Amino acid sequence: MDWNKDKSTRLTAVFVFLFAVILLAADVFGFIWMPWFVSVSAIKPEHLPFLAATIYTASIFAWICLYTMFRLLSSIREGKVFTEQNSSMLRVISWCCAGASIVFLVSILYYPPFIIISAAAGFMMMIVRVVKNIIQQAIGMKNELDLTV
Amino acid sequence: MKIIVNLDVMMARRKISAGDLAEKIGITPANLSVLKTGKAKAIRFSTLMALCHELKCQPGDLLEFSEDEEEQS
Repeated sequence: MDWNKDKSTRLTAVFVFLFAVILLAADVFGFIWMPWFVSVSAIKPEHLPFLAATIYTASIFAWICLYTMFRLLSSIREGKVFTEQNSSMLRVISWCCAGASIVFLVSILYYPPFIIISAAAGFMMMIVRVVKNIIQQAIGMKNELDLTV
Repeated sequence: MKIIVNLDVMMARRKISAGDLAEKIGITPANLSVLKTGKAKAIRFSTLMALCHELKCQPGDLLEFSEDEEEQS
């Protein structure tokens, strides 16, 4: 198969879109799957509102994240890759990961296994931050290259 | 401390326009302008070579080192 940058970016966009669809379904049908999740997990039935609070607060961060990723992808497809704007969008994504991590960290008060999600989100934040630092270095190099005649 | 690009002086001496020179040495007029206005951070040897060839001069005729902080060509 003829693979190229553009197709790869499009594939990422498809993943972002799929995730958005799943997240939308999870948000809309929360009243169905959350009671089910409470019934199969160790969460006490009276803690259902807490679970809803955790999921919906984390959803806000996820939506901001997805929207930013979508904007990032469209600017990459326009050929604007190493720009300050992209670097600040990556910063937004990293802070969203940090926010989700904190939400799930607080949630271990009623359901300890959430620590795993918290750790995963925290780890994600670090990865995104490293990528952001790389992009920032690249911006500096690109500026220098643009002024090389 | 800086490197001053005296390209405009040399161009005036050879009576060549920026557009003509850019075309002859194969760079865009925009890039030549970057070089002329002293905004350039680096110059490739190939560009310098083409400039010297076209303007019949030495790199020293185009570039000048200045110890002074304020001076700007």
